[in-house]
Amino acid sequence: MTRTVAAILLIATGVIATVYLAKALPNLDETADANSALSYADREIAGGNSILVDQEAAYEARALIPSGETYRVRVGPGLRNATPLTSTYAESWFAYFLMPRRPAGDARWIICYGCDPAELGRSFHERWHDANGISIGRVR
Amino acid sequence: MLCLNLWLLIVGVGVLFLLRGWRSWAELGRLTGFAYMLGTAAMGVAWVWELTIGIDLSLPTIFGTGVVLVVVSFVMGRRLGRRLPPKPRLWRKHSLSLTSAVFGAIAIVYFEAMFRAGRLTPLYEFDAWSFWVPKAKAIYYFGGLDHQFFHDLPGQSYPPLLPALEAAAFHFMGSPDVVSLHLQFWFLLIGFVGAAIGLLHVRVPAVALWPPLLLVLVTPFVIERALQPQADFLLDELFALAALLVGLWLLERAGWQLVAAAVLLAGAMLTKREGYLLAGIIIGAALLASLRELRQRWPLLILASAAAVAATIPWRVLLVVDDLRRGGPEAGGAGLLSHADRAWPSLRLALSTLFDFHLWLIVAPVAFAAVSLAFVAGERLFATYALALYTLGIIGFTWITWSFPDLPITKNPALNPIARVTASMILVSAVIVPMLLRELVGRAQVVTV
Repeated sequence: MTRTVAAILLIATGVIATVYLAKALPNLDETADANSALSYADREIAGGNSILVDQEAAYEARALIPSGETYRVRVGPGLRNATPLTSTYAESWFAYFLMPRRPAGDARWIICYGCDPAELGRSFHERWHDANGISIGRVR
Repeated sequence: MLCLNLWLLIVGVGVLFLLRGWRSWAELGRLTGFAYMLGTAAMGVAWVWELTIGIDLSLPTIFGTGVVLVVVSFVMGRRLGRRLPPKPRLWRKHSLSLTSAVFGAIAIVYFEAMFRAGRLTPLYEFDAWSFWVPKAKAIYYFGGLDHQFFHDLPGQSYPPLLPALEAAAFHFMGSPDVVSLHLQFWFLLIGFVGAAIGLLHVRVPAVALWPPLLLVLVTPFVIERALQPQADFLLDELFALAALLVGLWLLERAGWQLVAAAVLLAGAMLTKREGYLLAGIIIGAALLASLRELRQRWPLLILASAAAVAATIPWRVLLVVDDLRRGGPEAGGAGLLSHADRAWPSLRLALSTLFDFHLWLIVAPVAFAAVSLAFVAGERLFATYALALYTLGIIGFTWITWSFPDLPITKNPALNPIARVTASMILVSAVIVPMLLRELVGRAQVVTV
């Protein structure tokens, strides 16, 4: 009796495993297709797509700020098309993306997410900006 | 990345030689997955020690550490009387059961599909880009445990084994490629499955081995999360294999099984702080199961667990010295009483998560049915161990939600880690259920320790 129940249990396990494998394979196929259909930027920015507003800002920051330099992210009310996550997570996402550049409170490089340029002082020299109110520059 | 994983395998083979050796080259082939997981745990532990004392993780360190481990293992293994078997015959007939052939083919299809899905996966997971991968990048770029990033990033108390492994993968890829990084976790999943098959193949008939293993692999949670570059699955894989080894040790009394379990548990505890809880669950279950042999078994179990905990001391010391958060529960100890109202909802959450069909299909019901059948069939020792493992697991996971009052009572993995920690019990079922049912469906061809 115990052996029969064990056999039934294993058969049921095998059947369910096979059925769900058959379900999983097309899903994994879809995932593979969806991943390969992404642009290089979408794939690299990934989680940042729900934070950044503009992918170009990330690439410009990486191109403009030398790898040994420090930077700071300032978020302000002048940002257009912000997502609910932008103000909370922009700084931590840039910390992940821009490494080996280090975030620092007194950094001369500034990634301004709708911040007030007047707050940055006259010495702020803008190197790039977009239509969403994001700018990247350096304090002299 | 393939080279890194081959290197981990080579180191693991060295460790395996020290722990037990092998009587034939076919036996070594069978234990390849196990050797790989041993190598991953041993190298991971060594890397954490090196990082804590200020040795940078670089390609020379990765190779040097491996060479030291292999040489020391080989020399000590020879002293313990281990010998290499004679040269293998190039063409030797091996029989394979129809069940093994069919399920083996299915496993190949599964891993091929997982590879394609994981190959170009973007890094979406919050914990991954918020601290696991940044820590790995920091180790890759700055060599060691960079003070600024390890202080400022979230998860200060999480040990750096996984970031070190990811940084090693970056070194072998030549850049911090966070997309291809997902494939490192594909290798780990293959290693886990290979280790489970290698250890169980000679003890469990194929019909009892493959269905529970495949069931776990196709659960929605595993399909969705196994390749995420976070510590959860590596922790679960190390835990499941350690639980199997301790269970085997209870049955077979081979010393290498307990030593290997200690190595894997040290790796688990240095992968995530939940590793301490999971190690406690295994040791607690083994102590309960071996109550009748208290004098012979308990000292060895306590010694093995003490050795595993001792391996984590350098990291714990660094947490204190560097003034990093140690990550204890917000309401541990007496604090639990002041949050007594959370006890029942926490228990209900732990149970409902374990039995959630949408996460794990029927893995938990199958596991409990297997425990019951093993008791009825007279397999008391292993059944008691398995039952204690699940029971302590449920108690432990209840404690997690109860002792962190900020955690909402929800299965949402973004808000409460209950689903992620429960995955450890699911992975353990892949190796425990076959052992529970092995006597009920006939014997495996060869039994060996």
